[in-house]
Order: sequence, then structure tokens, then C-alpha cells
Amino acid sequence: MHIKLSSMAKTEWLCLLLVRLLALGATLSAAIVMATSHEKASFFALSFEAKYDNTPAFKYFVIAEAVASVYGFLVLFLPSKGPLWRLVIALDVVFTMLLTSSISAALAIAQVGKKGNSSAGWLPICDQVHKYCDQVKGALIAGFIGAIIYLLLLLYSIHNVLGPKVQ
Amino acid sequence: MAAQDGGKSEVGVNSSPALKPKDWVLLSLRLVAFFATTAATIVMALNKQTNTVVVATVGNTPVKAAVTAKFQQTPAFVFFVVANGMASFHNCLMIVVELFGHKIDCNGLRLAIIAILDMMTVAMTSAGDGAATFMAEVGKNGNSHARWNKICDKFHAYCDRGNGALIASFIGLLILLIINVMSISKLLKPKHTTYIGVP
Repeated sequence: MHIKLSSMAKTEWLCLLLVRLLALGATLSAAIVMATSHEKASFFALSFEAKYDNTPAFKYFVIAEAVASVYGFLVLFLPSKGPLWRLVIALDVVFTMLLTSSISAALAIAQVGKKGNSSAGWLPICDQVHKYCDQVKGALIAGFIGAIIYLLLLLYSIHNVLGPKVQ
Repeated sequence: MAAQDGGKSEVGVNSSPALKPKDWVLLSLRLVAFFATTAATIVMALNKQTNTVVVATVGNTPVKAAVTAKFQQTPAFVFFVVANGMASFHNCLMIVVELFGHKIDCNGLRLAIIAILDMMTVAMTSAGDGAATFMAEVGKNGNSHARWNKICDKFHAYCDRGNGALIASFIGLLILLIINVMSISKLLKPKHTTYIGVP
């Protein structure tokens, strides 16, 4: 039974596309900002180079955000009412999980970098490399926004799937 | 079948008092996930190791100091314990609702609420796992660029128990993910509808 997209459904579809575009923007900017964070500093005749490569957590963050961006880009091109939308919902769950774990890991390491860990004898590094820390902070905020948008998309999909409510 | 009697709707027409085989699969998966997340919570919460190191030697007697590694010293591990604790509570609640709460329907929103809660638990547990994994990795390998020394060579038991908790949590997370996908797919299946006057 072919249902023509009414004008209200079309607006809803456009809104959904816009939200997915926002998510794509957030994850892409998070990946790019984190990957280009780089600063050299010298500290008591020790040259100190801070790059996202130094920490596996940040590498994981960049990879996860990049993969989520590719997924977000591909999903934008799906036809509006195909049979693939159930797969998209399942993949949305997987990617939300990936994004939340990557942002959480990067946040944990960034917290140690900023405050240190006195019990383990780890000194904070943000005092020496300000610009690097600020850029990482920006990337983390973008990643957090991306994760929240994906969560909202999932909630919306579940709400959609409940079908038309009978008044 | 389609029209409902006024006021006396059949709640749970499809789910008869006896659970179907598919429900048993879901229930046993929830039980395994419950055990996994509870094990992870308990092992990490009780993770503590004290080492005595000789700090100085005064005359002939060595001066010893006790150095303790506890999970509370790392915020990521605290979050790990909290997240897994809440996941265990959620699983326990879902098992109880599944076994004893068939009458509770919440206006037909029961499956949706279960799916949404499952999703939030998956998100939180994955965040806790991710943070704890990478903190454990730094503890194990150190970070030469940031001059952070590894601590696992001095605190073997602490690291081993942390590894065990992490593995249990990952198993729990995987099973929770499968459960979540199953809950959402239950939503997508055309169930007994509340449409009145279906053609």
C-alpha cells in the first residue's frame, strides 16, 4: 500500500535529515579537531611534543568519530521509506555505543592530563601544553554533542516505531 | 480480534501466562548479563592492594611506608563501578518484571519503556567500559610522552583483578547490546495492535 508522503511527513523527514546532518558535522569536526591537535613545548631543557598519537585513547576517539562520520554520511543517502530502516536503527544502537565509549575514554585520559593522579605519581601536562589541551577540549565537546544527538535520534526512532496512536 | 470490548481490553493477548521459548532466551541472556555486570562491579569495588616499600634506612632499621592502590583513586574506575552497578540493577529489575509483572502494561508502552531503558543502560555501560579500559592501559603500559610511569609492575594483584572486572564487564556489555537489539526488534514486530476497526 503506497502512502504518499504528505506535506507534514515531508517536513518531518527534512527535520530528521537535518538532525542527522548535525550529527555528521559534530562527529566529523571532533575527529578533525582531535587529529590536528599538536603542540611542541620545552620544559627544563626537555623537549616535549604533545600529539593525539601519544595516547591510545585519543587514537581510538579519532577512529571512532571518523567511522561514525562515514556511517552518518552514508545514511543521509538512504531513500525515505526503504526496507533498510530497521538495519539503520540497529546500527544506530551500535554507533551510539561506540561514540559513548570513545568520548568516555578520551574524557578519562584528558582528566588525568589536566589534574594528574597523585596516587600514581602522574603529573598533569596541561600546564606545559595549553593550546593542545584547549584543542582536545574542543574536540571532546564536539564528540559529546555527537553522542547526544545519536541518542536523541534513537529515542526518536523508538517513538516513531510505536506507530500512530489512536485517540 | 481487532475490536476490543469497551473497558475490558485484553492486556497481553499475545503473552499468555506461560512464557514462549523466545522469552526464555531473552530471560537467560538477561540473567547472564546480570551475573557479568554484578561480578564486574563487585570485583572492581573490592579492588585494593597495599605494598610496603622501604623508604629510608635509619641506623639498622628500615623505615617502611605503605602504598595503597585503590579503585577510588581513579575517577574512571569509580564511574566504572557506578555504571556496572546501575546495569546490574537494571537487569535485575527487568528479570523481575519479565517473570512476575506480565500484567503491568503501562498503556501499551511497556515494550517501548523496556527498549529505552535498555538503550540507556547500554550507553552508560559502554562509557564506563571505555573509560576504565584506557585507564587500565595507561596503568599497564605507562605513557612515555607524558612521563607517566606504569604501575602494574608494582601492583600485580590490583591490575589482575582490574583486568578480570573489565573482561566481565565487556561480556555483560556484549550481551546487553544483543538484548537491546532484541528489545527494539520486538517493538518493530507488528504485535496486537490497538487500532479499532482494522480492515
